[in-house]
Amino acid sequence: MTLLKGQCHCGAVRASIEGVAAGELPYRACQCGFCRRHGAATTSHPGATIVFAADEGALTRYRFGQKLSNFLVCATCGSYVGSLADTDAGPIAILNVRGLDLPGFEGRTPEPMTYDGETPEARTERRKARWSPARTTALHASA
Amino acid sequence: MTDSPFQWRAGGCHCGGVRFEVAVPDRVEAQSCNCSMCAKTGFVHVIVPESRFRVTKGIDRLAEYTFNTRVAKHLFCSECGVKSFYRPRSNPDGWSVNARCLDSVEGLEIVIEAFDGQNWEANGASLAHLSKEPA
Repeated sequence: MTLLKGQCHCGAVRASIEGVAAGELPYRACQCGFCRRHGAATTSHPGATIVFAADEGALTRYRFGQKLSNFLVCATCGSYVGSLADTDAGPIAILNVRGLDLPGFEGRTPEPMTYDGETPEARTERRKARWSPARTTALHASA
Repeated sequence: MTDSPFQWRAGGCHCGGVRFEVAVPDRVEAQSCNCSMCAKTGFVHVIVPESRFRVTKGIDRLAEYTFNTRVAKHLFCSECGVKSFYRPRSNPDGWSVNARCLDSVEGLEIVIEAFDGQNWEANGASLAHLSKEPA
């Protein structure tokens, strides 16, 4: 079993990816204006499952461009932790390895990626092929 | 002001809610820090005195995060989360601007040096001169 866990700087948001060994996970550096400003380097795999754990109000959901995905930012410390999209096949996601300080990527250089000019349909199909099935849970059990 | 060695350059967060201007020379030294905070954002530090920085839009959209000694004031856009600039612990009298957030780096040479922020107590003082105003 392979399970990688990380969290934002303040700990209000945690996330994990499970099911694929770290060495088999892609490591990508999207070159868009959002990812560059956040210094993001991301991972996902269709054979792995991503879980975000955060309490109500702990995450800021930011949408831009084609507005197909929510970019998740910790409302307390500003860390960009990952992105979550709803599709006809259910929610899918990527994780920001740097923002979560996810282990297992030390010494690797993320591959620069450019997705300019994609149609919304092509973008969704690419994401369905590469992103991970995902879910969100509360960080603390509610009383 | 044609004699000034500095040129004002604009930048901002992703959503456009926070905008700033910073005066830098054509060749500027910047620090890439390995501390727990900077590693999460890949922040490229261009540290300047108070007089060479101004917020031009969205000061009310900034959220503040502090930790440890709470001297550094980590500021980020409450809409898109981008940290364009902040008050660093090493230079609380000045500002550290994120080179990743400049609109354009045309004609600007950014020389990035590694800063060992994991051992901040031993290294922090080496940056203090960067925010001193000219005499």
